[in-house]
Amino acid sequence: MNYVEVSLETTPDYVDILTAELAEIGYESFVENEDGLLAYVPEADFDESTLQAILAKYQIFTAIACSWQTLEKRNWNEEWEQSYEPIEVGDQIRVRASFHEPDARFRHDLLITPKMSFGTGHHETTWLVMNEQLTLPHSGIDVMDVGCGTGILAILARKLGAQSLLAFDIDEWAVENTRENFALNELHEQAEVFEGTIEEVPAHRQFGGILANINRNILLRDIPLYVQHLRAGGWLVVSGFYEADQSAIVQCAEQNGLLQKRSSTRHQWATVVFEKR
Amino acid sequence: MAKEITGYVKLQVKGGQANPSPPIGPALGSKGLNIMEFCKQFNGRTQDKMGMVLPVVITYYKDKSFDFVIKTPPAAILLMEASKVKKGSAQPNRTKVGSVSWDQVRQIAETKMPDLNCFTVDSAMKMIAGTARSMGITVAGKAPWEENN
Repeated sequence: MNYVEVSLETTPDYVDILTAELAEIGYESFVENEDGLLAYVPEADFDESTLQAILAKYQIFTAIACSWQTLEKRNWNEEWEQSYEPIEVGDQIRVRASFHEPDARFRHDLLITPKMSFGTGHHETTWLVMNEQLTLPHSGIDVMDVGCGTGILAILARKLGAQSLLAFDIDEWAVENTRENFALNELHEQAEVFEGTIEEVPAHRQFGGILANINRNILLRDIPLYVQHLRAGGWLVVSGFYEADQSAIVQCAEQNGLLQKRSSTRHQWATVVFEKR
Repeated sequence: MAKEITGYVKLQVKGGQANPSPPIGPALGSKGLNIMEFCKQFNGRTQDKMGMVLPVVITYYKDKSFDFVIKTPPAAILLMEASKVKKGSAQPNRTKVGSVSWDQVRQIAETKMPDLNCFTVDSAMKMIAGTARSMGITVAGKAPWEENN
């Protein structure tokens, strides 16, 4: 997705006000600089007339010079990705890039080229979920990966014996990247990937395992939907939230008929494993 | 031994909505920092402030690690929330689109105190009230320091 960078040269007194006004019309983030403000909005949401109407309100009181440019979609995380270190989860899983040599001591060798998507195992939540996957039954079941990022959790699910995979993400980079990583790890026929949300998964699709490393608010909203797609006796692993939010997640899951099996934490991040009764 | 600081990045990002697009992407990516790690952490820590603009100061280190501090939202954002207006007045000098009480101004001033160059709550309140007026938001009633006059 391309972004528009709007540059506003103005006096310091009006920087906060313009930030608040632009935030209301969909501008996502801001940088204050010596001249005023840089504001960023997805190109699809940029509307010149709305912007000019806001500026006109304040140009009565202060000078505001405005210009903008389109920033092309690109992989801003490339520099980090080109030199990332392999990650080990216990003594069975090793996540590496193509430029790392394989290590035969590890049973599960995952090749991940991230391309501005989340999920290399460096973050605590990815590590925690993979660690839980090692002790969950995968053999012969269908697994859904919600908010798949690089596809790392789905790839591990397949390596642990999952019969088929359904992975999706709202981010176009993640969808493209999951497909690339599935190919890198030679997952083809049994893996479906799409751009979207849980609401686009057909109602009849049932899974023996669901992986959801997202965030607290999305989980609280969507756990009831995950439950609808989970077979009786199936497992759900959730992560992407801090320990402080764990009780809210557990309460929501239990209210929707799930049974907490166990939980684990790492540097204040939490993961919980549930089972459908 | 303390890690060697290489520099700082200051941004304003909506709570729960950090993503690797500009400005986060180029600001962190050009320094070799893991953007996705920052987004996950920032979003995890701001789930209670979804959509609210939050200033964040990122400290990055020689070993490419980083940490960050989330500051209080801009006063104008807090004023919009308090006055329940979704945007400022079309003509801030003539048309007032919302109002806040001095108690609300005090609350905002107290929230903002850690990030303002003010020594007293009264001086912070004056600053907040000035921002309100510039946005077309009325501050109803007498200021506390005028009440005895």
